[in-house]
Amino acid sequence: MSFIEIRQLTKQFRQAVKEPGLAGAVKHLFSQKYVDKTAVAGINLNIEEGETVAYVGPNGAGKSTTIKMLTGILIPSSGTISVGGIDPYRNRMENARTIGAVFGQRTQLWWDIPISETFSLLKDIYEIPEALYKRNLDQFIELLGMEDFLHLTARKLSLGQRMRADLAAALLHNPRTVYLDEPTIGLDIAVKQRIREFIRASNKEHGTTVMLTTHDLGDIEDLCNRLVIIDQGSLIYDGTLAAVKDRFARERVIHFQLESADLPALREALDRMPKVTADRLERQHVSLRFDRFHITASDVASAVMRCGEVVDFRIDEPGIEHVIKQVYEGRISLDEQHAGKQTAAGTEANRR
Amino acid sequence: MSILRSTRRTLFLYRRLFGTQLKAILEYQTDFFIMIVSAVLTQLLGIVFLWVVYNRIPDINGWTFWEVVFMYAMIYLTEGFGSLFFEGTWRLGGLVNRGELDVMLLRPVSPILQVLTNGIGMNGLGNIVIGFIMIGQALTKVDLHWSFGKILIAILLILTAVAIRVSINLAANTSAFWIKNAGNAFPIMIHNLGEFAKYPITIFSMGIQLLVAVLVPFAFVSFFPAYYLFDKSTSPWIWLAPPVAAIYCGAVAYMLFRIGLRKYESAGN
Amino acid sequence: MNAWLRLPRSWRAYTGIATRSMQNTLAYRLSYVVNFASSFVLLIAMYALWNAIYAGRDELAGMSWTQMKTYLIISFISNSLLSYYSETRISGKILDGSVSADLLKPLDFQKARLAETLGSTVIEGGLTVIITFIVVLSASGILKPDFIHSLLFILSILASLLVKFGIVYIAGLLCFWSTGSLGIVWARMAVTSLFSGALVPLSFFPGWLEKLSLVLPFQGIVHTPASIYLEEVNVWGALGLLALQCVWACVLWLCGKLMWSWAVRQITIHGG
Repeated sequence: MSFIEIRQLTKQFRQAVKEPGLAGAVKHLFSQKYVDKTAVAGINLNIEEGETVAYVGPNGAGKSTTIKMLTGILIPSSGTISVGGIDPYRNRMENARTIGAVFGQRTQLWWDIPISETFSLLKDIYEIPEALYKRNLDQFIELLGMEDFLHLTARKLSLGQRMRADLAAALLHNPRTVYLDEPTIGLDIAVKQRIREFIRASNKEHGTTVMLTTHDLGDIEDLCNRLVIIDQGSLIYDGTLAAVKDRFARERVIHFQLESADLPALREALDRMPKVTADRLERQHVSLRFDRFHITASDVASAVMRCGEVVDFRIDEPGIEHVIKQVYEGRISLDEQHAGKQTAAGTEANRR
Repeated sequence: MSILRSTRRTLFLYRRLFGTQLKAILEYQTDFFIMIVSAVLTQLLGIVFLWVVYNRIPDINGWTFWEVVFMYAMIYLTEGFGSLFFEGTWRLGGLVNRGELDVMLLRPVSPILQVLTNGIGMNGLGNIVIGFIMIGQALTKVDLHWSFGKILIAILLILTAVAIRVSINLAANTSAFWIKNAGNAFPIMIHNLGEFAKYPITIFSMGIQLLVAVLVPFAFVSFFPAYYLFDKSTSPWIWLAPPVAAIYCGAVAYMLFRIGLRKYESAGN
Repeated sequence: MNAWLRLPRSWRAYTGIATRSMQNTLAYRLSYVVNFASSFVLLIAMYALWNAIYAGRDELAGMSWTQMKTYLIISFISNSLLSYYSETRISGKILDGSVSADLLKPLDFQKARLAETLGSTVIEGGLTVIITFIVVLSASGILKPDFIHSLLFILSILASLLVKFGIVYIAGLLCFWSTGSLGIVWARMAVTSLFSGALVPLSFFPGWLEKLSLVLPFQGIVHTPASIYLEEVNVWGALGLLALQCVWACVLWLCGKLMWSWAVRQITIHGG
């Protein structure tokens, strides 16, 4: 049995349909139409203790709804959830003791009291032993750099400060599971780094299970060893980040800096190579785009070396954001069996 | 967890959460004075009304001025306790509509306790003060035979009245789980039913009597305590009715909250 | 005539506001029904109470039970024309700071608020009047005035709206000086209820209090329409009362205008 087990999880909301304008308002007076909107549609997922899982998808895919069911805020329409053997909705309070959550768009700090007092209130709420509280607080203040704003009220904090305080508040009681819903949204890169390091440290030190939704692919690359992609309420991918990259980041761009190049010869060589196009073709700079399932980087490089003296070269991989964006947009399908060489990791990912 | 320990913990957490709100409100709000004065003004208005009417007639349906003042005062006093210590009930609608209940559901503390302590209405202070003054006046102006037992019962009746009022407030505000718009006036309507309980309910039609004695039992806040204290009842056990009503109201409010929570959609994200 | 034709164009923005306000009111129709029901609860309570007060008595303070019944209904109608929501909207705007957005609009704040208020009144007030009259006409024993008094009554109800708006607006602006509470709104409601005759007919007051009420603007909200409806004044007296209402409406409007410009200066100085 896995630490977190999700079986056939479904959530539907009922929405009233409204028509615009005064006439619409009058019409709405007499007849009301509703539609059932399915936010989560039969998700199955197992997560082991200590895993760090990125839960990704476009807006409205059902990420937050899943997290809210996992934390016990929402009751599932059907299906079951077990977190460490506990049903989060039925035994919400019991579950709440062992989890921490940060919702990027919503603070759990008390708006009008200093941050330090929020922490001490949380100590009483979670019944954190004095020694543990002191140790964690000191450590968090240092790791997250909160010294400067501990005495301020949440109302007065900047977004980055607030998010750090929120994160500290969520982890103060050493939760076994942490749910992070867009924890880095709108933050500058320095704060992002700090938050990622903090989460990584907590995972390493306490074996905290982390489930993270994000639009920031840097978060995923830095934090998560597993990637789950959801779209329109259903899982469309579950596997490693590397596997996605291997399978779908097929395109590479190789940039050469040359002493001098024999351009006509190079053009001729390019024509002979399959699926290689030139982004740039000058005497001293050549950039070639190729599909690595059809030709290797070394083949491309040696072809160029034959036509000139290479001083330096570098290979660009497409970012994971590019890949995931393509998945959302339906331009690449994760189920599709590709004609090219399947990497071992990719095949494994597909089976899970 | 033993009952004793869980009660102690609930009281402790109430104190902590209430204290937090109090600190926040003292820091950020400065015009308590206006709120308290306007609350007193509103309540005095009712007394002016009674005074004007009783200037022209000696009694209404056998009830004298001070007896009715007592019922008014019970309504004010419980409203005051509701505002000062449990104002959060009135904010439940906002919490639900903005999805802010999420945060409370994440914590290992009863969400009801967190909702109750989610605000402080300083105006309640005005109501409590004027309520106690009027109750004191009424009980001294009317010729009563006091005994030790009766004093204890009087205190019990005030406590149960507060419990009934707060339970009704909470129950009425759980309507926010079903009526999902910002201007939900249902709780205000229920609150307004308290108007009936300012007067001897015997002046009303049977339907209204049943409404305020059974369905939304405001009558146990004011009328029945008055009925007992002013010796209008032939049964000496009538004082047992309000505590029973308090348990009933508390249970209904709790049930409605639990059922409503299943409807919670955590909107506004 | 020419000026009248030009009015619609310059007023289009304001009629737009009024229409939007009507739409909002319809969108929150359940609130309206519940709101109506909750003030109806108060009417029923007052009715039963006065019924008990009049038990065994022919008249009190010069009013018979029939007159009293009628008075209660009229008072209910004139109070329901502006809902609680309309009454708190202006102060709400100031308390939650959304007033700063209004400052950016090329509209006169006072006129825009009046348009908004009248817009929701068309729906809320209209429904209230219809429902109440259906209830009342089916109930027996309610007085009905003659034609000319009915006409004057309708005019005075409209004038009472303007008077009430003037008071609500001024009290709303007072919220600029208080930091975030509804205290001023409650205080205004209490004072209005007392001096308008909504609490109890002014004739029930001791002489000094009645005299005081009659020199204040609040009487125009309930007492004036009710006296006209109950034919307590003749046609000339009614016209005089109507004129007084209009004078008060203008005075309050000008006070509101002055206060607004003063308040705006405060905002710009303190930076909102």
